[in-house]
Amino acid sequence: MLVVEGLTRRFGNLHAVSGASFAVERGAFVGVIGPSGAGKSTLLRMINRLVDPSAGRIRFDGQDVTALTGSDLRRWRRRAAMIFQQFNLVGRLDVLTNVLMGRIATVPAWRSLAGLWPDDDKLVALSALEQFDIAPLAARRAEHLSGGQQQRVAIARALVQEPEIILADEPIASLDPRNTRVVMDALLRINKHFGITVLCNLHSLDIARAYCDRLIGMAAGRIVFDGAPVALTDALARDIYGLDSDQVLDGAARAPQPDLPEAALGEAAAA
Amino acid sequence: MSPLRRIAVANADALRARHSDLFDGVLARRLTAIAVVVVLAALAALAVWRLDVSLARFGSGLVQIANIVGAMFPPTPGTHLVVFLHALAETLAIAFLGTLIAAAIAFPLGLLAAKNVIPNVFAHFAVRRLLDTVRGVDVLIWALIFINVVGLGPFAGILAIAASDTGSFGKLFSEAIENADRKPVEGVVAAGGSALHAVRYGLVPQVVPVIASQVLYYFESNTRSATIIGIVGAGGIGLHLAEQIRVLEWGQVAFLVLLILVTVAVIDWVSGRLRFAIIGRSTVGAG
Repeated sequence: MLVVEGLTRRFGNLHAVSGASFAVERGAFVGVIGPSGAGKSTLLRMINRLVDPSAGRIRFDGQDVTALTGSDLRRWRRRAAMIFQQFNLVGRLDVLTNVLMGRIATVPAWRSLAGLWPDDDKLVALSALEQFDIAPLAARRAEHLSGGQQQRVAIARALVQEPEIILADEPIASLDPRNTRVVMDALLRINKHFGITVLCNLHSLDIARAYCDRLIGMAAGRIVFDGAPVALTDALARDIYGLDSDQVLDGAARAPQPDLPEAALGEAAAA
Repeated sequence: MSPLRRIAVANADALRARHSDLFDGVLARRLTAIAVVVVLAALAALAVWRLDVSLARFGSGLVQIANIVGAMFPPTPGTHLVVFLHALAETLAIAFLGTLIAAAIAFPLGLLAAKNVIPNVFAHFAVRRLLDTVRGVDVLIWALIFINVVGLGPFAGILAIAASDTGSFGKLFSEAIENADRKPVEGVVAAGGSALHAVRYGLVPQVVPVIASQVLYYFESNTRSATIIGIVGAGGIGLHLAEQIRVLEWGQVAFLVLLILVTVAVIDWVSGRLRFAIIGRSTVGAG
């Protein structure tokens, strides 16, 4: 179980995250929602320790994650896999090597540095790629893949870490609607199939409602909602998203209306 | 064992069969890598043998080095402090003017040599070969040439550095321009910009930080080069350095070397600050 207590991060005077507290049960699929700049990314990055907290504690199965350093920290990162908005693959390396990166904390350093990956690990990597139907691309350079394919490679890399929790930071923000489905379905499958906890930052409330068991709403660095998706009423969502809410509570009925002054319309018509 | 690993183990043979290309070629690739290393080592050994590299001779020479280092203490300017400082200023001026002239000439040449600016193969091929030729002649040779053209002194040094670095800058600038992102250029062209606009607003803002840091590095490097070309008579502190070595005044040699060292360190520090000011800290930090 992941337990976060009073987690805070300051960048100068800016409180990116202040006093975040929550617990996530093993096997849950939790969505973290909120507008840009609400502190969602910082929260996830603190759990992987890419960003160090200014105050507060993170515990996982009783172990104090905030206190880890050196090889203990690397072992923790292996258990808490990250998935990024921009995929963060090494574009010049082939897909298989990118996925094998997920073994980097476990394989002896001389082997990984020399590129002599054990066959067993290659099999695991290929098996992960097959899970997401991209095994035929294993020998291709990652930079030559489409966005959706790259994100699936990144998910395979995370899966190959054999993690206990996956932290997905806006995994679909750079993807088109079709790939959004493919990637979210992949995360859901990992969650249901392999029993791995997923903590996923999402922009879109519709997607969050469709996939998550539970939602955590953030605004201005604070947690302002924590509960089942059905409990998140439109009024509460408006509180979380502020002025952005109309764009987030999507659906055809609420399509954004052009906001042009009459005079400008007149000029455009004349021209 | 994680579920994923269980699946991998259960299907190991099938996986291996389906992706045999990823497993079979490994030995051949490894042997190729080993062969490359062996060939390189053999070449190095051949070079050592043919060039008469002798550790024994180096060992006996070490005693001589110890004597020289001993004679260098304490470093002293002797009675030439003002002369030395004047020569140092001259060296700095040579490096500054030489680098500036080289950058000014190389910038348009770099644009002409970049494939994404001049699509015409013949045009950029011609400019590139010209730059290669200029670069192929070392700064020391340029110095000897220009001493014969304009006579002994700093002017020859400035011309030597300007000539040799025009070649280097031209190549570096054109590569920086070719590595620039195409998307901003597309944005400018799509808005109705001319080819010149595309260069001015699409490419130049991208390459300015790279070019600035290269120019600043070359200024520092040229301060050291200016010392060397001083030895052949193209002005600056190198002349004094060569002279003090000839008359075995090791204390003064040490002083001159320290003077150059401090100057280069100061330039390095200043250019580091300048570079940050030009690039902007945001791109260097976490962003």
